[in-house]
Amino acid sequence: MTESGLVLTRHHGAPDQTTLAGYERVGGYGALRRAVQIGPDEVAVQVKASGLRGRGGAAFPTATKWSFLPKETFPRYLCVNADESEPGCFKDRVLMEEYPHQFLEGVLIAAFALRVTHSFIYIRGEYRSQRELLERAVEEVYRAGYAGRDVLGSGWGCELIVHGGAGAYICGEETALLESLEGRRGQPRLKPPFPAVKGLYGQPTVVNNVETLSNLPFIVEQGGAAYAATGTEASPGTRLFCVSGHVEHPGTFEVPMGRTTFRDLVELAGGVWKGRKFKAMQPGGGSMQILGPEHLDTPLDFKAVADAGSSLGAGALVVMDESTCVVNVAMRLVDFYRHESCGKCVPCREGTYFESELMHRLEAGVATRSELADLSDVCANMDGRCFCPLGDTATWFVMSAYRRFPEEFEMHCGAGVCPVRYRQEVMV
Amino acid sequence: MAEAPAAPALIGVEIDGRTVEVAPGSLVWDACEKAGVFVPVYCAHKKLEPVAVCRMCLVEVEGMPKLQPACATRVSAGMVVRTATDQVRKFRDGNLEFLLLNHPLDCPVCDRGGECDLQDFTQRYGPGRSRASITEKVHFEKAIPLSDKIYLDQERCILCWRCVRYYEEITGEREIVLQERGVHTVVDTFERRPLQSKFQGNLPEICPVGALTHAKYRFRARPWDLRRTSSVCSHCSYGCNIFVDAREDQIARYASNDNPEVDDSWLCDRGRYAFSEHNRGDRVVNPEARVGGVRQAVAYKDAIERACGGLLRIRGEFGPSAIGVVGSSRLTNEEAFALQWMAREVIGTPNLDHRLSRLERITPDDFEVGIAEIEECDAVVVLGPTPEAAAPVLTLRLFKAENKRGRQILRVPVGVAAARLLQDLPPEATVAIVAHESDASAARELRRKLSAPKRLVQILTIVDEVNSRGCQDLGLLPNWLPGYRPALNPGLETLAMLKAAVDGTVRALVLVDPSPDLEGRALFADALASVELAIVVAARPGVSTRGATVVLPGRTLVEKAGTVTNTEGRVQRVRSAVEPKFAFPPDLRVIADLAAGLGGDLGVQPLAGPVFTKIAEAVPAYRGTQGGLRAKWSLLP
Repeated sequence: MTESGLVLTRHHGAPDQTTLAGYERVGGYGALRRAVQIGPDEVAVQVKASGLRGRGGAAFPTATKWSFLPKETFPRYLCVNADESEPGCFKDRVLMEEYPHQFLEGVLIAAFALRVTHSFIYIRGEYRSQRELLERAVEEVYRAGYAGRDVLGSGWGCELIVHGGAGAYICGEETALLESLEGRRGQPRLKPPFPAVKGLYGQPTVVNNVETLSNLPFIVEQGGAAYAATGTEASPGTRLFCVSGHVEHPGTFEVPMGRTTFRDLVELAGGVWKGRKFKAMQPGGGSMQILGPEHLDTPLDFKAVADAGSSLGAGALVVMDESTCVVNVAMRLVDFYRHESCGKCVPCREGTYFESELMHRLEAGVATRSELADLSDVCANMDGRCFCPLGDTATWFVMSAYRRFPEEFEMHCGAGVCPVRYRQEVMV
Repeated sequence: MAEAPAAPALIGVEIDGRTVEVAPGSLVWDACEKAGVFVPVYCAHKKLEPVAVCRMCLVEVEGMPKLQPACATRVSAGMVVRTATDQVRKFRDGNLEFLLLNHPLDCPVCDRGGECDLQDFTQRYGPGRSRASITEKVHFEKAIPLSDKIYLDQERCILCWRCVRYYEEITGEREIVLQERGVHTVVDTFERRPLQSKFQGNLPEICPVGALTHAKYRFRARPWDLRRTSSVCSHCSYGCNIFVDAREDQIARYASNDNPEVDDSWLCDRGRYAFSEHNRGDRVVNPEARVGGVRQAVAYKDAIERACGGLLRIRGEFGPSAIGVVGSSRLTNEEAFALQWMAREVIGTPNLDHRLSRLERITPDDFEVGIAEIEECDAVVVLGPTPEAAAPVLTLRLFKAENKRGRQILRVPVGVAAARLLQDLPPEATVAIVAHESDASAARELRRKLSAPKRLVQILTIVDEVNSRGCQDLGLLPNWLPGYRPALNPGLETLAMLKAAVDGTVRALVLVDPSPDLEGRALFADALASVELAIVVAARPGVSTRGATVVLPGRTLVEKAGTVTNTEGRVQRVRSAVEPKFAFPPDLRVIADLAAGLGGDLGVQPLAGPVFTKIAEAVPAYRGTQGGLRAKWSLLP
């Protein structure tokens, strides 16, 4: 464990972390050398010991995911999911902008552990400058001999390919990402077979998130146990959280898991802005359920947040102050899903449309009470019925907000305007 | 052929309380079908891989937290499936509501009305009332001509992807793609380029709604107006099974009638859209005869008497060889058999044929491998482009063999050097050579060179017309008797007969359904002008009827009952789908009546069934072929 207790941002303040030279000055690529010394199996052992769980949202244990690859099937691929598109989420961007070499070292360590010879980094289409920065870093890595043929005299080699998406949220879903990477329309694939068995180009494939892999240099350097010690037993390690919304200083913060609460995060971001009161928050990004003030002291622990009825998801926290109309927030999020639905399955394609039309009527105060009941019913016909989680999660915020603030939803029915806005803008 | 794998043990699955046994790896959907439980579905199609996008078939599977798509979930032993629980019903209602949200209410003017899965399932499951307060639907383009054959209505499309997958999985052409996303998703061609496939006509058939429609069927009929007859497509020798849908005396469309052994449910556009030819009005509707140099309508009996009288006179004066008999490869097996019998046994002439070119040496060995068996061969060698040009649906079978079965398809020029092929063929393999009949000798030569102790090489010859194969098998040829027994005293073939007619050695011609190719030849007109007597049985007026002494009205293949033999030797039934505009006897009866007038007795009623019995007696290979089986040539006497 480092003195600061930090993992991903432990080199914060060290100069030139975006260049190979700067990163090497703080010991960069030492972990890759060590990985090559201890061999792929030992790397996997350390990752297992670290208890690292995927940072893309589903929190699946990384070592277990790796173990699903059929033993002797080659070629196999590593795909890095850098398609960070979850509303309120910008941590992978920070990792790629500030510590691109730490990330690439993580990619190479994973590729080595998995005996992969081609690694693909699928980066969100809108991340243009980040992509350029990453491509420059990849060039440096090749020149230094950390990628390409015969890395560090190990006899193992790996190509790094950076591929830009075209701006579709769905391509963050791992099978849609693979489709897009293969040059097809970005849409999720039917599972099984799962990517570990039949992924990119029909070969066994591991898809890992940027943050997940950025942890690997630390894990290999200091050992899995040291990493696990930064968090709690149930939620090992540290994690980046993107705090945004109605806070004084929105930003990305690395905190140890399990030992930190939502309140700590809000305070790190300078507290609720303009001296206003806290109303609600959405952890995990646009997909997750709303939480209220009574959950502020919930620790950032997978189970504790699940028990509270939500999820840490991709590590975002959107704070809403007392002036917020949750119906309006729900409408905006539903519009996002309507826009991003890939159109593959009926309940998502038509359901997000129906849901958004109803939400617009509700927000404008023209919906009836029976339409509010219809909204719940439409959401019930989507949740768990769609081809992939996009359609399912398009209902989670709305339904959780309705359960938590039923009176606010009902107040909108037949009101003719948004009553929350009316109270603020007209009555005051 | 690859050896059939031992059938795996079946596993028991419970569907709505009923236990059924299905093969491991089956889909829940198949198990439901076996249990007699109907599960609605739009996206799944028997011939396409599952995609599970319409969600219509979601069912409860015990032990699984979410509803599962029956179309994509594989069975496991002891699986318990429920398809009619409240949860399932509620979702079906909800899903239909989703589908109808942006669907236009144009059923009254939609070609698919009455045979639309969206209509049917909405009637059967959907909610009774709309609760959508949305005032304006999302609109899309309607009536887009994707080609001269197919219209696309994007508003009616429910995005089941069948058309997209058809082009990916069945033809490999990828002409239709999904575009845009979310609620704005549409199917379309890239940049609206026109469809060029030879197999577009299958699109409206696999479309579960009225999004893809036939240009030739637009606004023409409702399904309840149509009388459906199962038959065989008559536009090449492949023998695709079809339904002929007729509205009164007009044929409204052909539809595919899945025969996995032949067409695998796909038709080519050339065959499918040729139906309109049958609706042409130019028909021979009355028996006619030249009476005192003037052609006039006569009674049927009179026409037969005049024809027979003339034939008897010529045979008496000049001998039987002065008479020539020419049929065509559009005759049914029964007609072909009766015609050769009349020529040989009743008239006594060796001059009979149905072809324009001489059939040199073709035997059942040239048709060893069946159409579906191609898929089982390790490699398929296709000689030149002619086989696929002659029988377009063959292309889809080859693609299936390559794409789904991983077989090697080698399209090579006719004169390919065997050495070049041997580089690609493993020593142990089953190989099919597919060749057009005009390249039969090249195919035989190649078989000889490719054959090896562990390499079995078989040929599939593609003949030209619907019943070319049957007319050959049954000996409507100058040099072969029924069943490929050589004729001891071979007579003249068609063109030789016509030349002899011009020379004056042949003095009478009997022409049954003469082919358009024949009609186009100057020699034919000359021959007709030269002979003393020309008896023509024809459906349409033309050179032959104009030059004839006696004309008898004939029927087209869609008006006939009988059997035809496809190029692989499969004997299939054609049925009369429409009645002709006259009440005179069918062609088979006309042949029997002519024979009777010449003193010949067929010995059975001149109907397809009894005559087929006679065929089976004369040609043992044809025994037991009822029900659409291939003739068994190993039964050669």
